[in-house]
Amino acid sequence: MSVTTLGWLVLLTPLAGSVLIGLTFKALPQRVHGALGTAAIGLAFVFAVLMFFGLQDRGEEERQLVSVAWDYANTVGVDAQLAILIDPLSVLMCLVVTGVSTLIHLYSFSYMGGDRGYTRFFAYLNFFVFSMLLLVLAANFFLLIVGWAFVGAASYMLISFWYRRTTATAAGIKAFVINVAGDVGLVLGAYFIFQGTNSLDFLTSFERVGEAFTENQTELVAGCILLLVGAFAKSAQVPFHTWLPDAMEGPTPVSSLIHAATMVTAGVYLIARLHPLFEHAPDAAMVGSIIGCATLLIAATIGLVVTDLKRVIAYSTMSQIGYMIMAVSSAVYAAGMFHLMTHAFFKALLFMAAGSVISAMGGNQDLDRMSGFRKVMPFTFACMVIGGLALSGIPPFSGFFSKDEILAYMIDRGGVYLVMAILGYVGALMTAFYTFRMIFRAFFGKMSPEAEELSHGHLYHAPEPTNPANGEVEDTEVGFPGPEHHIAERAGGMKIAMGGLAVLAIVGGFVQIPGVTSALHDFLHPTFHDSELFEEIHPSHTAEWIGLAIGALIGAAGIFAAWTIYGKGGNAASFQARLKPVHTFFVNKWFFDEAIDFLIVRPAAWMGRFANSTFERLFVNGALVGGSSGAIRALSAAVRSIQSGYLRYYAALLLIGFSGLGAYFLISA
Amino acid sequence: MTGLLAQATTKGPPINWEALSPFIALVAGGCIVLLVGLARSAFIRRQVVPVLTLLTLGATAGLGVWQWDINEGIVANAMVVDNLTLALTMIFVAGGIAAVFLSWRSIASAEAGEGEYYALMLMSILGMLVLVAANDLVVLFIGFELLSIPLYVLCATHMRREQSLESGLKYLIIGSVGSATLLYGLAMLYGAAGGTNYGDIAAVAAEMADDTLFMVGIGLVLAGLAFKASVAPFHQWTPDVYEGAPTPVTGFMAVATKAAAFGVIIRLFVGPLIDATTTWAPAFATLAVITIIVGNVGALGQSSLKRMLAYSSVAQAGYMIAGVVVTTQLGIAATVFYLAIYVVMNLAAFAVITARERETGLGDDISSLYGLGRDRPFLAWPMTIAMLALAGFPVTAGFFGKIYLINAAVNNGYGWLGVVIVVGSAISLAYYLRVVAAVWMREAPAASTSLSAVPIMAGGSPEGDEAAYAAGREPGADVGRVVSEDFGEPSIITSGPRISQPEVIFVAVFCALVTIAFGVYPEPLMDVARDAGEALQSLR
Repeated sequence: MSVTTLGWLVLLTPLAGSVLIGLTFKALPQRVHGALGTAAIGLAFVFAVLMFFGLQDRGEEERQLVSVAWDYANTVGVDAQLAILIDPLSVLMCLVVTGVSTLIHLYSFSYMGGDRGYTRFFAYLNFFVFSMLLLVLAANFFLLIVGWAFVGAASYMLISFWYRRTTATAAGIKAFVINVAGDVGLVLGAYFIFQGTNSLDFLTSFERVGEAFTENQTELVAGCILLLVGAFAKSAQVPFHTWLPDAMEGPTPVSSLIHAATMVTAGVYLIARLHPLFEHAPDAAMVGSIIGCATLLIAATIGLVVTDLKRVIAYSTMSQIGYMIMAVSSAVYAAGMFHLMTHAFFKALLFMAAGSVISAMGGNQDLDRMSGFRKVMPFTFACMVIGGLALSGIPPFSGFFSKDEILAYMIDRGGVYLVMAILGYVGALMTAFYTFRMIFRAFFGKMSPEAEELSHGHLYHAPEPTNPANGEVEDTEVGFPGPEHHIAERAGGMKIAMGGLAVLAIVGGFVQIPGVTSALHDFLHPTFHDSELFEEIHPSHTAEWIGLAIGALIGAAGIFAAWTIYGKGGNAASFQARLKPVHTFFVNKWFFDEAIDFLIVRPAAWMGRFANSTFERLFVNGALVGGSSGAIRALSAAVRSIQSGYLRYYAALLLIGFSGLGAYFLISA
Repeated sequence: MTGLLAQATTKGPPINWEALSPFIALVAGGCIVLLVGLARSAFIRRQVVPVLTLLTLGATAGLGVWQWDINEGIVANAMVVDNLTLALTMIFVAGGIAAVFLSWRSIASAEAGEGEYYALMLMSILGMLVLVAANDLVVLFIGFELLSIPLYVLCATHMRREQSLESGLKYLIIGSVGSATLLYGLAMLYGAAGGTNYGDIAAVAAEMADDTLFMVGIGLVLAGLAFKASVAPFHQWTPDVYEGAPTPVTGFMAVATKAAAFGVIIRLFVGPLIDATTTWAPAFATLAVITIIVGNVGALGQSSLKRMLAYSSVAQAGYMIAGVVVTTQLGIAATVFYLAIYVVMNLAAFAVITARERETGLGDDISSLYGLGRDRPFLAWPMTIAMLALAGFPVTAGFFGKIYLINAAVNNGYGWLGVVIVVGSAISLAYYLRVVAAVWMREAPAASTSLSAVPIMAGGSPEGDEAAYAAGREPGADVGRVVSEDFGEPSIITSGPRISQPEVIFVAVFCALVTIAFGVYPEPLMDVARDAGEALQSLR
C-alpha cells in the first residue's frame, strides 16, 4: 500500500469504529463495543507504523506528500480540498496519538467497566481520535479548522460525559466556550494568511509567505498572533488556561488521553506545522515564547498548593506544555516535539496511576484524605514513581532528555531566550517538588481508612456515592459514574496499558541522546528543511550535557525538598502560615478565574443584557426575523392563494407568463 | 424529379443501428409488455409484466453503457447520441426501474391493466430519450409529445379515485397549452432559420441575435420547455398533478420528466442557441429567481407530502437553471450531477410515501409519518436522509450537488444567483426539517378501527372490492379521507398492519444509501457528469 493510502486508512479507521459503535449500540453487548473501539485504534496505530516505514523508504526530499481526495471548491481563488499532508511531523503526531490512544482505550476497557455509558464512552473516544488525526493530517487551513473544531466538540462531550453532574456539565461548557474563543482566533488568523498568500494549502502558502509579506509585516504578525490565540486556547496557555483544571471533571481516561497526551498538544503541533509563518513574523513568535514561559511558571506555582490529585497533574500538564510552546515558538522544534512525545507517555501514565488511586478511594480525588497506599498498591505506586521521575527530569527517564534538551537549546540561542531558559530551570525545580509532594502524600505515611480496607483485600466503595467536587449525593445510573471501581492491581487491561506506558516513559528518551543519537532530529528534518534556525541552533554536545546535568541536579533537589517536608507524612502548615499571602494567591490560582469573570464575563454579560433588551428585541427579533419570516409567510400565502385549483386561472397565468417572456424578448430584440 | 424520388426510396440515410439500439430496445420492450399484458393469467400480468419491463430497462441501460463515448449524429443527423444523451438515459432508466418497483403492487397498475400501464411508462421513457437526443426541431416536438401523452394517461390510472382523474385531465389540458406554445415557438425558429436542424439554427443564431421573429421564437420555446421543467410561473400544474397522480407515477414524473426537460433545455439552449446567450440567459436567470422563491415559499405549510415535494421540485428546478445559464461545461456537469442525485433523493422519499400510503390509510398526509422513527428504521432513515439531502446537508449527495451548482454559477459571473440558491435552501429547511421532525419527534397516534383487515392495496381485486363494500367504503378509495365521515365517530386510521412490500423498502433504502455514498465520495458520479458536460465541445 502506498503511504498516502495508509494515511487515509489511519484517518478512517477510528471514524469507522465510532460509526460502527454508534450504529450497533443496541445490537451488541457493551464489552464488544469496548473491544471494537480499542481494536479500531489499534489498527490505526498499525497503519501509522506502516506509514512511518513507508515514509522512511523514500528519499529525503520526497517525504512531504499531499493526497487530495476531492475539491470542495476551486473557485474565485479559494482552493478548499479534502487533502491530507503526510510528512515526518504529521507521522510523528499520528504515531503518538494512535499509540497512546490504543493504550488508553485498553485502560478504559477495564476502568470504565460497569459504567452505564460504556458504549457511548467508546463511541466518543473513537470520534475524538478521528478528530485529532484529522487535525494533524490536514493539508490546509480549511481542514485544520474542521479538525480543530471537531476536537473541541469531542472534548466537550467527554468532559461532560457524566452529564447528570452539574459540575461536569459546567466544566464542559467552560472548556467549550474558551475553545471556541480560540477557534475564532484560528479562523481569523487563517483568513489573514489566506489574504496574503491566496492559498489555503499549507505548502503553497509557506512557499508564498516570503513574497506575500515582508518580515514582521503587521498583517502577518496579527495573523500569527490570532493563530496563537487558537493554539493557546487548545493548549491551555495563560490566559486561556482556566478550562483545563475544570476539565478534570471528566473520567480519568479522558484526562489522560485528551487533557494530557493529545488534544492539549495541538497548539504545539500548530506552531511547529506553521513554522515558516512564525519564522517570518519573529514578533509573533516572541509572543509565543513569552506566554509559554509565563505559563510554565504560573502553572507550576499553582501545582505546588492544589490538593486535588488530578488537578495537580493538570497544572503540571499546563506547565509542561508551556515548555513545549516556548520551545517551538523559539524555533527549538525537534526538542519541543521530543518533549511532546515523552510527555505524552509519562503524563498519560501519571493520570492512569492517579485514576487507579482514585478508584481505590471510591471516587474521591482529595489529596488531603489520601495516604499510605504504597504497600497496598505496589504496581500503581511503581508506575506513579516512574512517571514522577520522568516528569522531574531524573536520568535516565525520558523527561530527563527531552525537557533539559529544550533548555539547552534555548541557552544556545542566547539573549532573552537565556533568561527564559533560567526561568525554565526554576519551573523544573517546582515541577519536581509538586510531583513528589503528590506522591509522598498519596503513597507514604499512615494508611488512610481506604488503604486500610484495601490491605484487608477489599476495595473501598462509598456507601452512598457522592460528587467529590460538591458533595452532592448521586446514584450510579447513566449520566453518573458506575457503581464499580477498578484498580490497576486487579484489572488486566489497566495493568497492560500502564505497564506499556511505564516502559515507554523509561526508554522513550533514548531516541535522542546528545552525542549518541539524534534520531528524532534527523527524522523531522524534511519537515523543517526550509527553516534556517532548525540547523542553526545547535549547542555542542558538551553544552547539552552540562544543561542536562543541571536539570538532573535541580530535579533531585526538588525531590529532596519534597521528601524533607512530606516524606514522613508531614505537611507544610508552617510554610503556609508564614507565607500566607503567597499561599492564598496560589491556592486561588492567581485569581485568573476572578479576573476573567471581572474583565470579560461581566462586561460581556452586561453588554449582552443591554443588546438583548434593545438591539435583539427590536431590530433582530422585530425587524430582521419577524420581517423576513413575515415576508416569507406572506409570499407563501400569496403563492397558495393563486393555486386555486381552477384550470382557467392556471391557463391565464401561463398566458401571462408567455406574454411576459415574449414581451421581454420583443423589447430586447 | 421522379429520379430523385426513386433515389430517395431506394437509398435512405445511413443509419447507425448500434447507436440507435437503446431506442429500439425500448420500442421492442414496450410492444412485448403490451402484448404479454393481454394474458389471462393473473400471475403473468402481475409478476411477469413488471419483470419484462425491468428487463427492457436493464437492456436499455446496458446498450447505453455499450455506446458510451460514441458522440455522433444518427439518422441523418436528426438525433445525437453522445455522453449527455446516454448519461440522461441512465437517469431515466433509474427513475423507471424505481417506478416499476413502486408500482408492483399498486392499485393504479391493476386498475389500468398492467400491460398498458408499464407499456405507457416505457413509451414515456422512449419519448424522453428522443427528446434529449433530438437534433432537429421536429424530432424535439415528437419526443416532447411522446413523453407527455403517456404521462397524461398514467396520471389518471388510479381510475376509481376522483383526484387521479382530475390530475390526468388537468395535466392534459394545461399540457396542451404548453405544447402549443412550444410548437408555436419552434415554428418561429424554423421561420427565422430556414431549417429545422439544430445546425441550421446554430448557423444563424449569431446574426439573428436581435431579430424579432427569432427572439420571440426563443421566448416561446423557453416557455414551453420551462413548463415541462415546472419553472415558475409555468409551474401551477405541478402541485395539483403531483398530488392527484398515483404515487409511483408522481415519483417517476418528478425525477424523469425533470431530467428530460433539463436535457432538452441544455441541448437546445446551450447548443445551437449558445450564440444568443446574451439575450436568453438574463431572462432565464430571472425565471430561476422567481422559481426558487415561489417553489420554496409554496412548499411551506403544505400538509400533503406529495404537494410539498411538488413545490420542492419547482424550487430544485430553479437551482438547476443556474447550471444552464452559465453555459459552461462545468455548469452542464453540475446540472447533470444534480439531476442524477435528484433522482435518488426524491425516489427515497416517494418510496416511503408509497409504503405509508398503503399501510396507514392517511394518504400522503404528513401525519402518516408520525412515529416512524421509533419502530420503522428502514422507512425512517431513508426519509430523513432524503429530506436532509434535498435541503443540502453535508454527508449527503445533495450537499455536493448544491456546491457544484453554486461553484459553476460563481465561476461564470452568476455569483448573485448562487446567493439566491443559498437563501432558497435556507427557506427550504423550514419544510424539509418539518418532515424529519414528523418522523422522529411525533408519537404515532394510537391505532384504531377494524380497517387493518383490509389492506388498501387490495383494491382492484374482486376480493378487495367486496371487503371494501362490506366495510362501507368505495373500493380503492383513499381510506383515510372517507373513513371519519362514514363511521359516524371520528377515528383516524393510523398505523395499519405492516404490509410486506420489500421492493418498496428496497427502493427507499437503496436510494438512501446511494445518497450517502455520493455524499461521502462524489468523484465517480462527477466523472460521469463531466463526461456528459464534455459532450458539448463548443463550450469552455
